[in-house]
Amino acid sequence: MIKPSSWSSREESLILLNAYLDDELDAASALDVERRLAADPALRAERDRIAELRSTLVSHLSAQRASDDFKRRIAGIADPSRDVVVALPSRQSRSYDWRQMAAAAVVAAAITAGGMYGVLRQNSGANEIAAIVADHQRALLAAQPFDIASSDRHTVKPWFDSKIAISPQVVDLAGAGFPLAGGRVEIVDGKPVPVLVYQRRAHVISVVAVPRAGQMTSTAPALQTTKDGYSVIRWFGRDFEYFAVSDVPEPELREFVSRWREATPGS
Amino acid sequence: MDERQRFSEAVLPYVDDALSLARWLTGNAADAEDVVQEACLRAFGAIASVQNANARAWLLAIVRNTAFSWMAKNRPKAIMTTDDAGIFEQAGLEMAEPQASPEAILIRKADAAQLENAISALPLAYREVLVLREIEDLSYREISKVLSIPVGTVMSRLARARSSLIQRIGMAGEGKAGAA
Repeated sequence: MIKPSSWSSREESLILLNAYLDDELDAASALDVERRLAADPALRAERDRIAELRSTLVSHLSAQRASDDFKRRIAGIADPSRDVVVALPSRQSRSYDWRQMAAAAVVAAAITAGGMYGVLRQNSGANEIAAIVADHQRALLAAQPFDIASSDRHTVKPWFDSKIAISPQVVDLAGAGFPLAGGRVEIVDGKPVPVLVYQRRAHVISVVAVPRAGQMTSTAPALQTTKDGYSVIRWFGRDFEYFAVSDVPEPELREFVSRWREATPGS
Repeated sequence: MDERQRFSEAVLPYVDDALSLARWLTGNAADAEDVVQEACLRAFGAIASVQNANARAWLLAIVRNTAFSWMAKNRPKAIMTTDDAGIFEQAGLEMAEPQASPEAILIRKADAAQLENAISALPLAYREVLVLREIEDLSYREISKVLSIPVGTVMSRLARARSSLIQRIGMAGEGKAGAA
């Protein structure tokens, strides 16, 4: 066992030497260390080793670099929508997008080849939701989240009819605090589908109406999930399967959906 | 200033630093990402309490604490007691004789892998002080805040960590020289 009394001065010298090399000592203590160094060759050798260690560490150990993907994930903690993209330098988002597209191309090739089709098919619900959320995000990045701006459902419904020959139910929920903002067309699963755009304060709610011919109205509870920070609620109406996507707080989106369903009992 | 703004000023600029610290504490990059993501969630929850002047040390403190709870959950054996006096007393603080071995030269010749191994082999209580000082470049006072230990303890742990690294690298270098 080490005798503390015989070690204390040695330890003290070493500890002070380290602090001296880190430039953490006041002038008087620094002078004291310099005095000890002058008198003690072992301490000078230790100083050389520590200095060597420090410069070797600096030259050999590089800091970790977060990947673009990881930075995006972290930025998404504070805001899953617009600000994320603004916060990242555009060069990085572009390279990210490029890789994403390359990955998508690989997946697409695998599906075409047929090898993974069975596996992916079972997961089609999740893929569909991912696509719908991605469309919603893209729409938020555009100058306007809709192709036709109108708070009048009698304008929006015929617009869909003329554009893609599909006319989903358009419900007026302005009285409940969800004014209609317009409509747009998205491509889901390779087919054009109508999307209704509602507003809630500064938030946007997209209602994607995927045509399901022969689908009967279901009173089953809506299915709720989240993807990339967005809430998605899915339910079945007559001839359509609906997805509501938004970054409003979940209870508000639930309220929106239940009001929507109340307003369309027969569809 | 709203929370998003604060988060982008107080957290996002330091994600690389957070990742470096987590990488050295957990020992690998994938675990480090898990730890940093969880730490950033915690940081966002506490974003109102941070001042930009000390945001970096504040985030590193959260990362460090998150890493410890993560390790306690995922690999409890890696966590040792950090009773400083105990470790310090047992380990002692040795100083090689000036003529003992040309360690300064061995250290200069050490490669990155040798350094990594030597640092990874340090007890966690020493490793974190060393990483905060040498890689994150924090002052003693900042380290003392991040780890909630007195400055005197920072000093003694750092001295011990460096001394231990020098010995390990010196031994590894001698082994190499002997084998050659």
